[in-house]
Amino acid sequence: MLEVNVKKIFPGFKLDVSFSADQEILTLLGPSGSGKTMTLQCIAGLAQPDEGFIKLNDKTLYDSASKINLPPQMRKVGFVFQNYALFPHINVYKNIAYGICNLPKPQIKDRISYLLEKMNISELSQRYPRQLSGGQQQRVALARALAPEPEILLLDEPFSALDTQVKERLEIEILSIQNFYKGNILMVTHNLAEGYKLASKIAIYDSGRIIQCDRKQKVIDSPANYTAARLTGVRNLFKGTIIGIEQRQVLVIIPELGDKVRVDLKGKMNLLPDQSVTIGIRPEYVHLSDHPVENTFRCVADRIIEGVSSVNCFFHVQGKTGAKHWMEAILPKSDLERICIGQEYYLHLHPEHLNIFRD
Amino acid sequence: MTESYLAPLWISCKTVLTATVITFFLGIAAARWMARFSSRYKGLIDGIFLLPLVLPPTVVGFCLLLFFGKNGPMGQLLLSFGTTVIFSWPATVISAVVMAFPLMYMTSRGAFEQVDSDIESVARTLGASEWRIFWSVTLPLAWPGVIAGTILSFARSLGEFGATLILAGNIPGKTTTIPVAIYFAIQAGNMEEAFILVGIVLVIAFLSLAAIAYWKGRQSLYKISPTRQQSAE
Repeated sequence: MLEVNVKKIFPGFKLDVSFSADQEILTLLGPSGSGKTMTLQCIAGLAQPDEGFIKLNDKTLYDSASKINLPPQMRKVGFVFQNYALFPHINVYKNIAYGICNLPKPQIKDRISYLLEKMNISELSQRYPRQLSGGQQQRVALARALAPEPEILLLDEPFSALDTQVKERLEIEILSIQNFYKGNILMVTHNLAEGYKLASKIAIYDSGRIIQCDRKQKVIDSPANYTAARLTGVRNLFKGTIIGIEQRQVLVIIPELGDKVRVDLKGKMNLLPDQSVTIGIRPEYVHLSDHPVENTFRCVADRIIEGVSSVNCFFHVQGKTGAKHWMEAILPKSDLERICIGQEYYLHLHPEHLNIFRD
Repeated sequence: MTESYLAPLWISCKTVLTATVITFFLGIAAARWMARFSSRYKGLIDGIFLLPLVLPPTVVGFCLLLFFGKNGPMGQLLLSFGTTVIFSWPATVISAVVMAFPLMYMTSRGAFEQVDSDIESVARTLGASEWRIFWSVTLPLAWPGVIAGTILSFARSLGEFGATLILAGNIPGKTTTIPVAIYFAIQAGNMEEAFILVGIVLVIAFLSLAAIAYWKGRQSLYKISPTRQQSAE
């Protein structure tokens, strides 16, 4: 169980976050410079917050009120740096042994061969970091951090320097760490796909604050606000005004789309008629429709980007505002033949997949 | 008189070795301290440490003479113990240390500051004490720079003339180092002795440069790039 509530003020930037995690992988997701790495450094004791507390499994690591600030040496925190920060002058075996040198020799040996095997790098134990590939260095860094059996594992952008294939293999590796490592894992990333795959919970960072911290599916299905929506890949966002409220749905008039749209409330309260709101939908939930039913909009296909397994299609909508507005759809490959640039289509936005945010 | 170069050679060897050992530890300690030290006086202290590098050696010698002289603070203190360093062999060491210190300090501080702070941080999270981190991580990674600084200090101590002459004087067999001996040999028209001593210094200077080049080469061995891929992956 990790509980964090810290404030730290820099010139022109303020970190003020509060979250908890329990025996799970929590992803801190957000743009660079939003304070994710600083949060990890505060937990590890490499940076000192101005105020707040950090508790890890009933042990207080930091508490400004009672003036507790354990040095990093005492925190039992495993830290994997973005650049891995392996000791370049000693071999893999000694790198992993660095944090457990107080154990008896045979025990060190057992622990290292166990970790080498778990990370699939047994054959590399005598190599030096400069003789390793990026992925291998990452595995060594993980093994080294896990060796002293830390109570929490902190991963700072663990895949940013790796190419796609190596990255995919390592993602599996990190998920399998959970089979033998029972502590918390906290991971920092700016990549939603990466964060989603590994995490069970996601905390969304924006300029030093957490704007949403939920189970990962919740974060995707109902972002807490406009910024959270933008950061989690809701790329179709339109401004509108509420014109009707029903039991579970609202009607919103969207000038940019030239029509009204029906949106599921999904438990959101406190919406009033005539309130200005923003509605959003993920491009993968925009579908082609054959008939102009409710929540469909006439759009002109403008650009098509064919991907490996899907098609990104950019439509423009002629709204009442006179300007062109974009609607992005991620369509299945089978729709590729149906779409010609310049032709009109009906795009359907399902009420269940629409999100609504107060401005 | 043919072997008169032996005494200066012996004195220089003793002086340079002693001075290099002292400078090595003093320089590393100061560099380590300053690399982590933050205060508004940092610039001032840095300036004081580097001063002997930019001052003429005679000026440094004059200041040392005032400091260690009969009326100077250090001279008074030593006198109360019934001793003095002026015009004695230790004076050649003191002058050499003071003149060589900035080189050792500057070079090893640069080397310490180049050590990736993430590597030291990771050692901290692995439970290593600051002392252990210094000996097992920082110093080994900065070692090529520290060695380069040591070789530069060694060469500077060997060449020390101005401050040595002022503080230690020219007492043959006692304080006459090679540079001082060369000067007085030329003054006395003893060109043969001057030639031999100059030859010795030239050889040592070339060896020092070669050693620095070797260590600079070693330094690049520690560089790793995280994105480098190998067949095994």
